[in-house]
Amino acid sequence: MKVLVAVKQVAALDEDFEIRADGRDVEPDFLIRDLNEWDEYSLEEAVRIREAGTAPVEVIVVCVGPEDADEALRKCLAKGADRAVRVWDEALAGSDAIAIARVLAAVARKEAPDLLFAGVQASDHAFAATGVATAALLGWPHAAVVAGLTYTPGAKSAVVRRELEGGTLHEMQIECPAVLTIQLGINAPRYASLRSIKQAAAKPIEVLGLEELGIAAGEVGEAGSAARVRRMYIPDRGRAQMLEGSVEEQAARLAQIIKDATGSAR
Amino acid sequence: MVARDAVTRVLFEQFSPAAIGAFYAIAGVAVAVFGFGVYVQIRKYRRGAAAEIRGGLLGRFGAMVGTLLSHRTVARRDRGAGEAHRLIFYGFVLLFLGTSTITLDYDVVGPLLGVHFWHGDFYLWFSLVLDVAGVLLSGGLLYMMYRRGWLKPPKLDYARPDRKPGDADYDRSGYRREDWAFLWTLLLIAITGYVLEAARLVWLAGRPDVWDYRWWSPVGAIIADAMRALGLTAPAAAALRWSLWWFHGVLALAFIALIPYSKVKHIFTAAGSLLLRDPQAAQRLPGVPQSQERAGVQYITDLSWKQLLNLDACTKCGRCHEACPARAVGAPLSPRDVILSLREFANRTLESRELPPAAELDVHGKAPGQVATETLWSCRTCMACVEVCPVAIEHLPLIVQMRRKLVEDGTMDPQLQKTLQAIHKSGNSFGESKRKRPAWTKGLPFAVKDARKESVELLWFVGDYASFDPRNQKVTQTFASLLHQAGVDYGILYEAESNAGNDVRRVGEEGLYEMLATANIKSFSGSSFKSIVTTDPHSYNTIRNEYPDFGGNYSIEHYTTLVLRLLQEQRLAPKRKLGLRVTFHDPCHLGRFNKGYDAPRAILGLLGCELVEMGRCRANSFCCGAGGGRIWMPDPVGADRPAHNRMREAAAIPGLQVYVVSCPKDLTMFEDALKATGNEGKFVVKELIELIAEALQAEKSPATAVVAA
Amino acid sequence: MSEILVVAEHRQGQLRPPSLELVGAAHAARRAPSDRIVVALIAQDASQLVPSLSVTGVDEIVTVRSPVAEFEPEIFARAVRGLIEARRPALVLLPHSVDSFGYAAALAAHGGCGFATDIFKIEYDSGGKLIATRGGYGQKVAVEVEFPDKDVIVLAVRAGVFRAPEGSAAPQVTTFETDLGRARTSSVGFIDSSSADDVDMAGVEFILAIGRGVGEQANVERFRELAAAIGATLGCSRPVADAGWLPKSRQIGQSGKTASGCKLYIAMGISGAIQHLAGMKHVATIVAVNSDPGASIFSVAKYGIVGDLFEVAEALEQQFK
Repeated sequence: MKVLVAVKQVAALDEDFEIRADGRDVEPDFLIRDLNEWDEYSLEEAVRIREAGTAPVEVIVVCVGPEDADEALRKCLAKGADRAVRVWDEALAGSDAIAIARVLAAVARKEAPDLLFAGVQASDHAFAATGVATAALLGWPHAAVVAGLTYTPGAKSAVVRRELEGGTLHEMQIECPAVLTIQLGINAPRYASLRSIKQAAAKPIEVLGLEELGIAAGEVGEAGSAARVRRMYIPDRGRAQMLEGSVEEQAARLAQIIKDATGSAR
Repeated sequence: MVARDAVTRVLFEQFSPAAIGAFYAIAGVAVAVFGFGVYVQIRKYRRGAAAEIRGGLLGRFGAMVGTLLSHRTVARRDRGAGEAHRLIFYGFVLLFLGTSTITLDYDVVGPLLGVHFWHGDFYLWFSLVLDVAGVLLSGGLLYMMYRRGWLKPPKLDYARPDRKPGDADYDRSGYRREDWAFLWTLLLIAITGYVLEAARLVWLAGRPDVWDYRWWSPVGAIIADAMRALGLTAPAAAALRWSLWWFHGVLALAFIALIPYSKVKHIFTAAGSLLLRDPQAAQRLPGVPQSQERAGVQYITDLSWKQLLNLDACTKCGRCHEACPARAVGAPLSPRDVILSLREFANRTLESRELPPAAELDVHGKAPGQVATETLWSCRTCMACVEVCPVAIEHLPLIVQMRRKLVEDGTMDPQLQKTLQAIHKSGNSFGESKRKRPAWTKGLPFAVKDARKESVELLWFVGDYASFDPRNQKVTQTFASLLHQAGVDYGILYEAESNAGNDVRRVGEEGLYEMLATANIKSFSGSSFKSIVTTDPHSYNTIRNEYPDFGGNYSIEHYTTLVLRLLQEQRLAPKRKLGLRVTFHDPCHLGRFNKGYDAPRAILGLLGCELVEMGRCRANSFCCGAGGGRIWMPDPVGADRPAHNRMREAAAIPGLQVYVVSCPKDLTMFEDALKATGNEGKFVVKELIELIAEALQAEKSPATAVVAA
Repeated sequence: MSEILVVAEHRQGQLRPPSLELVGAAHAARRAPSDRIVVALIAQDASQLVPSLSVTGVDEIVTVRSPVAEFEPEIFARAVRGLIEARRPALVLLPHSVDSFGYAAALAAHGGCGFATDIFKIEYDSGGKLIATRGGYGQKVAVEVEFPDKDVIVLAVRAGVFRAPEGSAAPQVTTFETDLGRARTSSVGFIDSSSADDVDMAGVEFILAIGRGVGEQANVERFRELAAAIGATLGCSRPVADAGWLPKSRQIGQSGKTASGCKLYIAMGISGAIQHLAGMKHVATIVAVNSDPGASIFSVAKYGIVGDLFEVAEALEQQFK
């Protein structure tokens, strides 16, 4: 029994970042990379399924990314993943969620897992699309924004609870194998000590290219994407009027704002 | 008429050979039982892991002998117990040497060489000394009984904070009974010894070689005279002597036989523990060899044989229990009870013939003998326990090693987890980007040299709190101004500095610590400097004591010794005397860890402040509660906190104006505590650097800026 | 003349507000006045919802009969795909919502259409090509995307950006038949996570909200006292509710409550993640207190204080003594 977890190494912006000369992305020097926050939860959910059951369950993490994505995969191996797969080819640069989904679907066909997890979205570009696009390409049932899951390894169906706007949960039954996109808060991700991350360094990461997955270069990258970045810019931000002075002065001003807004004579 | 030189005590006087034989047989049994007991203990220690013993044998032996003879560690902070134990110790040692001397004469030298020395003046002085020794011993024992039974110090009820009533190992009455039994047995041996002595005198009163010299055994003589006055006849005395001889003898032999099975073994285990003492046990923690399978202590067999010996050295004196700041505020931690739990666990599992299976050897949990997770996480790693222990038990490294296991499992407070992840990601505990580290330099009217690019004489390792915490940033800027004013050639590492790792290591995240230490050492190697200074005692401790284990050997001082030198050399000249009534809080990692008590006090003197010491000062300073990663964990709601406890102590000083600290975490903790304990307005909390800056200004000014543009 | 297809969203028999916002978005996205705005309604009983969809600008409401009462991703995906294939709209607008997370990408995967999500601006370049703007790198930058050689473009539109049109209309109501296949998920029921006896944040006028900046659970009490002192109701951002420091019912944001009735919102120690902003950025007067001058919350707040939360809390409480 296998659970395949798709993870992404996301990029966060450093202080004082700059836009690249061609205006379509940020200068790479200013990007700080880390494992996507949502993926910590989906990986933890997969590892818990393995730990809860008696039948053997293999948790495989897959990431589409260049060599520096190995760091995120090592972290996953330290947190309990059994095996890691990374896919990269120069042609993949500029891929959007749909193009990435083609790669993930190919890996899923190769691995034939019983469940495929992805995060609801990535903390950098937040398409909220990769998981469900993969499901569509595989022709598998799918559910998004899963905040609760009840599943026995190898079962024909699972019960999921989608977290709706406002916090209400929508309970649904879904046939398996299925693709689920996992929401924050579904569990408490475990800590991976530095030592276990170092020990995980000994576990191999399988690196695949497009040929091994039977994907043509034209199916990925910009050519295979559903949208193309035209321009990236720093927007003018609305700016609050800052209250200056000592803390007491600021508090007095704020108290006045409160009295004006609530219209009460306190 | 017997010549003086021939005067001696005939051993086994009027004993039939059978009786003598019986005695030796019993003695033989006692020795065998003793021997077996020793074997079981040694077998237990051998089941532990290998130990790294630091320091040369000769030095450690000398230190042990010095400590034993002076009793310095027993007398500290408990004068009564110290003096009484001295009496017991010397009394017992003399009596033991005395008995050995007799054995030597009778059983060894006599039969082998045909020579006896135990007679004449030697014998007479011998008798006197031993009588006095018995008085010392008895006096000490009686005081201990009085202390335990009447004075009743709270620590001697052994009430433990890490279990609740109803838990299987909550009840400590067994220990109390054992302690009383020990006292009574020894006292009984002493008393029966004297009465036996007196009975012999009465029995042999007719013999001048005995009776005329009776005052060489003064206690016995007094009792003998009293006995005779009460009408005891010689024959009755003979019978009394006979029965007492056997009673005293068997009791003493039983006592010896039971040494390895009872508290009495501390005679050996305490000495052994002292012999193995590592004065840097808490300051320089042991690393984890790459080859080791598990990072921390999970099973009792993961403890080294030295640690197992440490467990047996404990006499439940309770000094660590009293000193512990966590225990003082009601946390479920007492260092004493960690040691006792593990000892009970070790005895139960490692003294049996076959070693139990691994599943039964796990020391983590709430079952009898195990140590609970909350207990381990309550520790502030302030080393008060290690510092005060009279028998050199090293509680701290053991607690940290047990924490390593918890960290591997991820069993920790969620906030601590987040902090460790933040440190891993950005090298600081504030979750800020690396680029923000030197932000404090922007407010200064002068430039701070970049030690990555230029060579400097003094490298200033700033530290996390001093760099990122707004309140501490002011102190950092003030210190920069002081260095600038004194014309010191200094620089900082800017973004190349990471958290020094002291607290990360003490939390038990050894892997992350190695990463930080390696990163900092790499940054150090990339710059050129003569020595390092820091305002953070935690960074000071680890760079000084632990970085050498990772290849980083540097000369480093805490700012207090540097600034004292600058003041003494007149490179910083105070313009006025502050005339404030102050008290000084010794930071754990500067004071107790690295003996840095004097420089701050000398500085306060030079500033013209009147220093009033708190009761718990210098080596006995009371931790602010932030150590051991506790500053990254929330405190239980409503519970007392070490910093509040300390503030109340300071508030008791009449007319106190300033509570002086010299550590960034202390500043944060105590400023909060000042408000929380309702002492705001009564006195202020100030960093020593701020006082120095004030003294350097010509007049009083409310601004914190020191250097005019 | 081209068609803009808007897919309506509904739940438990009620139309969800983003559906009408999408009509507003469609208005804004019209290239020519002749462009038709068609609303797709995939429901078991369409007649109930048609009246609420009959607003200004809607030319046609095409209904697709769903075999199930509630949202099912494959049904919606197949229905919309069928509509796209039959009608070839130039633009398809969906809400960027939990439901659409479940099927929007499926449309793009097979249909060969242009696709982008969380769009808050739609415009056309000089050549008449559509440009959609979304956020990037955690909403720190804006990103314009284009769709070269795509005949049909599917956009998931951010809620709360476009305004629903005022006034009603009488659109043509048609039906569309297509093979919806077999649904492989089925609805079991809805679970309301909030407790019955706690405050309904949606109706509160004055909210004091706390975020991660408060540090630890023990500090929550301090802000509860502050809220009481200034007459506000205590609310929070997601991390505080996830950690259990306050009940979920107090959470403001996308997966919490929207502060619809709020007039004054004071955010303390809240950085301003987009999901939280979704629940409060509409409030008339927002005051943000944060130690980080670069926090996103300051871009939606009217007033800001950069400082230590606890000092400000203390000083503010003094003002009300």
